[in-house]
Amino acid sequence: MSSKVMVSTHLNGQEVTFLCEPRQTLLEVLREELGLTGSKEGCGNGNCGACNVLLDGVLVNSCLVLAVETDGRTVTTIEGLTPPDRLLPLQQKFLEHAALQCGVCTPGFIVSAQALLEQNPQPTEGEVRRWLAGNLCRCTGYDKIVRAVLDTAQSLAGDPAQDSAKEVGR
Amino acid sequence: MRAVGSSIPRVDAVDKVTGLAPYPGDIDLPGQAWMKIVFAGVPHARITRLDVSRAQAAPGVIAVFTAADVPVNEYGLIMPDQPVLCGPGSTPQAQIVRWEGDHVALVVAETQAQAEAAAKLVAMEYEELPVVTDPFQALEPDAPLLHPEEFPFPYGQRDRRSNLLLAYRLRRGDVEAAFAQADVIVEAEYRTQAAEHAYLQPEAGLAYVREDGRIEVIVAGQWMHEDRAQIAHALGLPEEQIVVRYPAIGGAFGGREDMSVQIVLALAAWKTGRPVKTVWSREESIIGHHKRHPFVIKAKWGATREGKIVAAQMDVTSDAGAYAYTSTKVLGNATLMCLGPYEIPNVHVDARTVYTNNCPSGAFRGFGAPQGHFAAEGQVNKLAAALGMDPVEIRRRNALREGSILATGSVVPAGCTALDVLEEAARRAAESPPEPPVTLRTSLDASRRRVAQGRGLALSFKNVGFSLGFPEHCHAWVEIHGEAEMERAVVGCVGADVGQGAHTVFAQFAADALGLPVEKVELRVEDTDVTGSSGSSSASRMTFMAGNAILGAAQRALQAWEDEERPARAEFVFHPRPTTPYDPQTGASDPNITYGYCAQVADVEVDLETGHVLVKRLISVNDVGKAVNPQQVEGQIEGAVAQSVGWTLLENFVQENGRAVTQRLSTYLIPGVADVVEEIVPVILELPDPQGPLGARGMAEMPFIPTAPAIAAALHDAIGVWFDELPITPERVWQALRERQP
Repeated sequence: MSSKVMVSTHLNGQEVTFLCEPRQTLLEVLREELGLTGSKEGCGNGNCGACNVLLDGVLVNSCLVLAVETDGRTVTTIEGLTPPDRLLPLQQKFLEHAALQCGVCTPGFIVSAQALLEQNPQPTEGEVRRWLAGNLCRCTGYDKIVRAVLDTAQSLAGDPAQDSAKEVGR
Repeated sequence: MRAVGSSIPRVDAVDKVTGLAPYPGDIDLPGQAWMKIVFAGVPHARITRLDVSRAQAAPGVIAVFTAADVPVNEYGLIMPDQPVLCGPGSTPQAQIVRWEGDHVALVVAETQAQAEAAAKLVAMEYEELPVVTDPFQALEPDAPLLHPEEFPFPYGQRDRRSNLLLAYRLRRGDVEAAFAQADVIVEAEYRTQAAEHAYLQPEAGLAYVREDGRIEVIVAGQWMHEDRAQIAHALGLPEEQIVVRYPAIGGAFGGREDMSVQIVLALAAWKTGRPVKTVWSREESIIGHHKRHPFVIKAKWGATREGKIVAAQMDVTSDAGAYAYTSTKVLGNATLMCLGPYEIPNVHVDARTVYTNNCPSGAFRGFGAPQGHFAAEGQVNKLAAALGMDPVEIRRRNALREGSILATGSVVPAGCTALDVLEEAARRAAESPPEPPVTLRTSLDASRRRVAQGRGLALSFKNVGFSLGFPEHCHAWVEIHGEAEMERAVVGCVGADVGQGAHTVFAQFAADALGLPVEKVELRVEDTDVTGSSGSSSASRMTFMAGNAILGAAQRALQAWEDEERPARAEFVFHPRPTTPYDPQTGASDPNITYGYCAQVADVEVDLETGHVLVKRLISVNDVGKAVNPQQVEGQIEGAVAQSVGWTLLENFVQENGRAVTQRLSTYLIPGVADVVEEIVPVILELPDPQGPLGARGMAEMPFIPTAPAIAAALHDAIGVWFDELPITPERVWQALRERQP
């Protein structure tokens, strides 16, 4: 077995140091070593987006990133995106629009959509669909997910004080 | 506002949007070991020797288990025709591998990596056996036999010298005489493919021996008491010795109805005394669990000039794969549903399901009804075309209505609303004529693109609850707390919330019956100790069955409350009206408790250069009796349609010589957000089912069923070609367009 490597990462607002094997993916370390199980392994090879996280603010499949690559970088997972005492407007809209069923894809969709809203606070429906094309959902048929994202954008535009997009990659 | 009928958020929504909801793979226990299951990797072989010595000696390995370690080495939901572990050391039939996904060994180690590394060291010596993958070849007299052994068979005598698992027949009237009188006859052969559930959460679980000495298995399934029964059977233990617990479940769609990791986890925990965890990769999930049945349906239907269907002759064959799973039950449904929701006076159906060395087939949303309706609705649309009749009109003249006699000779259960959904679909379609083409996403140059547009319609019905004599029932209890005033209630009902929202519905029924806010209803839904069996989350039954059970328990608890009991507690076991099995000769029976009805209209656009099909709009009209949570009902309609469009146009589980080819989500394609459907229009009708709780009928499978024939009809409307084989890929459309050209 290969020797372990020390990695220091700015994870969800905290400096975190962990030991990992060079072969280990970020997803595996998040779930198995750091106890952050909100990121899901739906496929393990970048097809489904259930493990999506932000790496230096950029959306990535954490199953396709080696944990050692995150040394000195900033990682934000669904756990870090969620405020301690409330839901993000986006999460609230997912709930209101019933944009989830089994829920395994949901954290990945939230992370992805939040990243979109940070870059593009007023996306068109086409832009939302294209952005979310890397996230698979087998339950909802996607329509309610798209509505939830568009409604979030609309409500944030109407209420800039609530702009949660700034929380991404903080 | 009443709780039933209100679109409250799911009870698990906050945990799911924050990623806190625990799925089986997210749960750890102190001191847990990891298990890797060794798959056979060959589709048909006799294992002569299994050498686990190197695996046992590998770093971190705690134990390696083989067939010899399984107390009762057989299992199965309907019949025990499958070894828990294949290999020498138990029964003669367990020495045979019949499917590449058969399990041969369990490697338990301190870490996941150690278990995986050691699993590669298990050496299997075997004699290959001839492989049969085509159900028609499997029926030939010289075909390799899958199951010559004896096992308890619940359908009378089985011919052990044949791969025929089960055959059904329906006989009504005289089809030959009717064909002779018919003005028009259409014949076709319909083929449907194997399909993968692709729920986002691959199989996973954790088992351990509790302080009270019982084995607890934490897993995602569809029916915890059935899981418990099968685990207990294989371990040779009383059921009371086993506890099955479901945490959050990451989708099911029928794919978790049979055992995957349940029995082997319990075995490993029991034998090692350690908590044992296993998590399947996506590839293991795709190789290791059953698929939707491929069907071949040969159809001959006749009608009069007036559009009255006078005869239907169907020859139905499904590929059961290597083990029975629920194939006999799916066949039971398909035998009836291949006739569609029509009253046909002369019927002749021969249906069979056949063992092969393919991946076992089993439950998947619709349970034989989608395949049956693809043929039935294809036939009705072809008759309409041959007669020059409107597709709505021909259905008006033949659809089931109150008092109609099914091909089984029994009256359709009261509350038949086939015509209502049909008329509503026709009305909605008339209101929204197809829009002119704007742009087609697949076209590189919009100015040069050539497209054709079409519209198609299909109608369907599907049973609610288990069929054909199954002793259906559902347990629930209700407990009311408070002193002078009711303060809160607790509901016990262990139906699985596989993602469809069952638990939210349980809370809504209880709140509604007790007059409490939903927040004051606490749910006890977690394990087999809570109550007796609530049955399976399948057959669109959970709202119907659990709703009736909870309403019954609530009514009794209210009586206890009136009688000053504190807390006021009551149990109730709901038994719906009984059904009966098919008569072996004629198929005469009262097959189902009740039905749900759905009609759909599909608008498609076909790119004439690429063969790409875009579903522009799909109107789905569903009679759900009573929408307990309208928003969740919409979600079921939208999700079902998206899945069914995937099945119709995209998805294909490819096997070659008994080996899975499409093992990943990069090769087994499911619809993404940018694919396939531009607009799904869910339309909910609430025409009460007299047997339903507050009128509700099951609905989650129904909108899957008419999608494929509606799209096929729309394609015919667009380009004049009937597609009778699924999936209707761009290649097939393009080929048809080429062949169409003079």
